[in-house]
Amino acid sequence: MQTFTDIVRYRFVLENLVAKNLKALYRNMALGFFWSILNPLVMAVVLTAVQVFMYPDGGGAQRAGFLLVALIPYNFFAYCLSGCASSVLGNASLVTKVRFPRQILPVSVIVTNLVHFAIQSSLIVLALLLFPPPGQWFGWQLLWLPVILAVHIGLAIGLGLLVAGLNVIYRDVQYIVESTMTVMFWVCPLIYDPVEHDSWSRAPEWAFWLYYSNPLAGLIDSYRHVLYYGKPPDLGVLLLALLVTLAIGALGVRSFWKHEHRFADLL
Amino acid sequence: MTTAIRFQGVGKRFRVQHQKPFLAKELLRAMLQRPSQSQEFWALRDVSFEIEAGESVAILGTNGSGKSTTLALIAQTSRPTEGAVTVNGRVGPLLELGAGFHPDLTGYENIYLNASLLGLSRRDVDGKLGAIIDYAGIGDFIDAPIQTYSTGMKARLGFAVVAHIDPDILLLDEVLSVGDGQFAHKCEATIREFQQAGKTLCFVSHSPPMVLALCQRAIWLNGGRVHEIGKASVVCERYQRFLDTGSLA
Repeated sequence: MQTFTDIVRYRFVLENLVAKNLKALYRNMALGFFWSILNPLVMAVVLTAVQVFMYPDGGGAQRAGFLLVALIPYNFFAYCLSGCASSVLGNASLVTKVRFPRQILPVSVIVTNLVHFAIQSSLIVLALLLFPPPGQWFGWQLLWLPVILAVHIGLAIGLGLLVAGLNVIYRDVQYIVESTMTVMFWVCPLIYDPVEHDSWSRAPEWAFWLYYSNPLAGLIDSYRHVLYYGKPPDLGVLLLALLVTLAIGALGVRSFWKHEHRFADLL
Repeated sequence: MTTAIRFQGVGKRFRVQHQKPFLAKELLRAMLQRPSQSQEFWALRDVSFEIEAGESVAILGTNGSGKSTTLALIAQTSRPTEGAVTVNGRVGPLLELGAGFHPDLTGYENIYLNASLLGLSRRDVDGKLGAIIDYAGIGDFIDAPIQTYSTGMKARLGFAVVAHIDPDILLLDEVLSVGDGQFAHKCEATIREFQQAGKTLCFVSHSPPMVLALCQRAIWLNGGRVHEIGKASVVCERYQRFLDTGSLA
C-alpha cells in the first residue's frame, strides 16, 4: 500500500519526471503530437493495405479500425515495459544521491505513456468515424472501457515494477522484455482475430484458456469487442486477465520492495 | 544537544562481480547447480560514532577507506549490512563532483527536479528560483542541458540548490575543490552561515587546511574501520604525518 501512498506524497516529483519524459511534446506541442501518432499511423496504413490486398472480401478500409483498436493498446504496453525496464538504471544519477521512493521512476514512465496513449486514441476515433466497423460501436458497451483500461494499467504497473527492479540486478532483462514484446505481437490477437475465423470451435478447450491466460491477449480481445464489434467483452476472458494481472501485480510489488534498498549499491 | 547521526557497529558488505550478472546466465547456472562466482568484501566494518546536531565533522582517509560508503549510508541511499544507522533531520543530496543532476535536463529543470526530490513543493521552489540562479552565477547556461556544463558549473549549481533548500544535514564529498577562488569563497561563507544556523555538516576532504578551517572534529577511516576520532587539529596532524611517512604509528 505504501507503494501508492508515497506516490501521492511525492506527486510533484512525479510531475517533474513526466514533464522530463514528455520534453519533446512539451517544447513543441504540434511536433510532439505528430511524432506520437506517426508510428501507429504508419503501422495501421501499411497493415491495412496488406490486409485489404490479402482479404478482398474482408471489409476493405474497415480493417484500419480493426487493427488500430488493438495496435494502440499494444503499443502503450510495449513502451511502458521497455521504459520501465530502463527507468531505474537511466536515473542512476538521482538514485545514488537522494533517498526518495524509487517506484516513482517506473510509475512516471507509465503516466508519460498514458499521455501518448490518449493522443494516439484520437486515431482510433478517427478510423471508427471514417470507416464504420461492422458493429454499432457507439453504445452502452463503451462503459466497459474504463474497466478494461484499469486492468491494462494495473498490468503495466505490476510488470513494470518487476522489470524495473530486475533490470538493476540483471542487465539483460531489458533485452528479454523487448524480445518478449516482439513475440507478443504475434501471440496476441493484433493483426488477426481467432473469433473471426471461428478457430476456437476447431481447437480443444484448453487451448482457448491457455491462449487467454496471457492477460494482454484478453485485454486486446476486450478492446476489440467493445470498440469494433460493439459488444460487451467476453466476461470469462476479462476475468481471467484480471486474475493474472492481480497475481503479477503482487509479484511485481513484492519483488520491487525486496530489492529497492539495494538499487544504489548496484548502480 | 540531540544526535544528528549515529552509527552503531555499522558494516557494509559489497559483492564484487567482475561483470554485471545476466539473468539468462544466472538461470542456467542455477539449473546446472554451479555456485555463482562472486567475492565479497567489507567496505566498512565495526564503525561506531555519533555526530551531534550543529556539529561539523570531517571524514578523512585514503582512497578505498570507506568515506563515500559512509556518506551514502548517511544519505540513506544505501543500507548497512549489519549494525544501525540513525539519522535525524532532512539530509541534503550527496554533493559530489560532476554528479547529482540529470544530464539531459536543463539547469532550470534540474533545480525543480532536485528540489522536489528533497520534498519541496512547487510554491517553495518558485519562491527560491531567482535566488538559486543568482547564486549559481552561470548566466544563460541555466537553460542549457547539464551535459554541456563544465565540472565547475555543475558544482556551482549543485551547491546553489543545496544552499537554498535548507537541509538539516549537509553532505559534501570533495565538492569544494573545484570552482574558482571566488566561488570557493562564496561556498565557504554559505557554509559558515549554515553552521551558525545550527545545521550539521559532514565533509569529505583531502585538504587539511579546509578541514581545519571548517570542522571541529574529524573521523579518520582506514581500511573500512575507524582509525581515530577526535579534535580536527589533532587528527589532521596525525593523518598528514601518515600521508608523509606511510606509517600508522
